[in-house]
Order: sequence, then C-alpha cells, then structure tokens
Amino acid sequence: MQVEYINPFLSSLVKTFETMLKCQVNRGQIHLKDGSQLGGPISGVIGMSGQAVGTVVLNLSEEAAKKAAGAMLMMEMDEINDDVLDGVGELTNMVAGAAKTELQQFNLSISLPNVVTGKDHEVRFPSNVSPICVPYETDFGPVSLEVGFVVKNEPVAV
Amino acid sequence: MTKVLVADDSSTMRTIIRRSLEALGVSDTVDAADGEEAVAKFTPGEFDLVLTDWNMPGKNGLEVIEDIRKVDANVPIVMVTTEGEKSRVMQAIQAGVSDYLVKPFDVDTLKEKLMKHGC
Repeated sequence: MQVEYINPFLSSLVKTFETMLKCQVNRGQIHLKDGSQLGGPISGVIGMSGQAVGTVVLNLSEEAAKKAAGAMLMMEMDEINDDVLDGVGELTNMVAGAAKTELQQFNLSISLPNVVTGKDHEVRFPSNVSPICVPYETDFGPVSLEVGFVVKNEPVAV
Repeated sequence: MTKVLVADDSSTMRTIIRRSLEALGVSDTVDAADGEEAVAKFTPGEFDLVLTDWNMPGKNGLEVIEDIRKVDANVPIVMVTTEGEKSRVMQAIQAGVSDYLVKPFDVDTLKEKLMKHGC
C-alpha cells in the first residue's frame, strides 16, 4: 500500500478525534497487520469500493469507546451500550469519509458502518490485501486503525 | 417557534445536532432515522429547516432533498455528511440543497450554519 494512500487515513483519524472529541492522539509505529486479532473489544468496520477497494477498521479499547461516545453525547457512559456502539460507528464513518475525500481520484463509495464487539474478536481482510495497522495512544485510551486498500484501475484525473 | 427536521441514521449524530439546536434555543425538533422516514415526516410549511445526512439506509440524503423540493422549493435544507468531494457538493446543489457541512465538524461551525438558516 503506497504511502500517499495511507496518509489520508492517518490525517483523517487525527482530524476526527481532535475536531469531534477534542481528544489528542499520539501515533505509534505503523506496521503490516500481523494476524487477525485486534487489541480492543470494539471495532467499527467500513468497506470502500470504486476504482480501489478496501476496508477500514477503527478498533477501540472499552474505555476509549465509552469516553469517545461520552464526548460526543456530552454524558458519562458507564457501560458499552447501543449509544456507545452507534458512536463508534459514526467515528468510523467520519474517519473513512474524510479519507475518501482526499482520495477523489478513486471515485470511492463507502458502506454504512458495521460495529463488531467482543473480546478477542477478529476482522479478516481479503487474502489479496495486506492491511497496515496504526496504533494510537489517545487521551481516552488505546485506539488502532487498520486499512487495507487495493487499487483496481489507474485513477482518473479529477 | 422554529421547527427542525433532523435526518441521520446515527443516533449519536442526531443527538449532537439536537443539542446544538437546543443551545440556540430551538427545542422543537423531529428526528428521522432514515430517508424514507424523513420524507414521510416532512410536510410543506411545517418545518423551518431540514438537516439531512447523505448516506442512510434505503433512501439517501440526496433523494430526500429531491423529494422535499418536489413539494417545497423554499425550506432551507442543510446536508450534514462525510461526502466532501466537489462532485458530491455539486450533486447536492443541483438537487436543491441550501447549505453543506462536512463531517467531522466543530460544533461551533454547526451552530453558525444553524444560525445562518434561521435558528
């Protein structure tokens, strides 16, 4: 996955967390995803299609998910409930959507978000995709972003 | 009293918008969780402002704008969406949108848009 395709997702996550949540994020080491297991128990998953296809996974610790949802809803979340799950879905939507805007040459559409929960859950990418994994430490706790992105056709000029 | 229709499949986003409206003194809001519901709840002359997402299950926000414009050419409609590409904005303008706000957004920016359109 070329670096110019990764950067929109990295900047989109920062922008989403800082703008919507007033939450500072510190990026860890970008690496190729190793294995299918994610760190936190909650993942927002969005598919992308067009002249590239891909999947975006925003994974959060339980604490980060509750605090992120609480920041958007302006209330304290004591447990993982429907509001928290919806909040994670909407965050994933914004991260993928803002990145998509920076990748206009691929004429991408994004799916509605799905949210997967459970300790040790897995999100598997297609076999022809080598996703990158980006861990973050945030004011709310650990978060990671996984992106698998494959160009189907040469992008058209926009 | 100002009355606003808010269409977004995310309950979180509907809450964020509703809280921003309340901060501006607007408490009469009607929620719709998808495009079909938004169009079903819209009546010409009843609402002072419509806020709609783009990507929703079933009928999307662009279709909501088109359907509303068939019966009401004047009600302000603001699209609140992640779809930030110029081509998307042009599509929405051609459909009859009055204003456009790209997610993620600062809540103060949302409030400015709401105030610009009568709230």
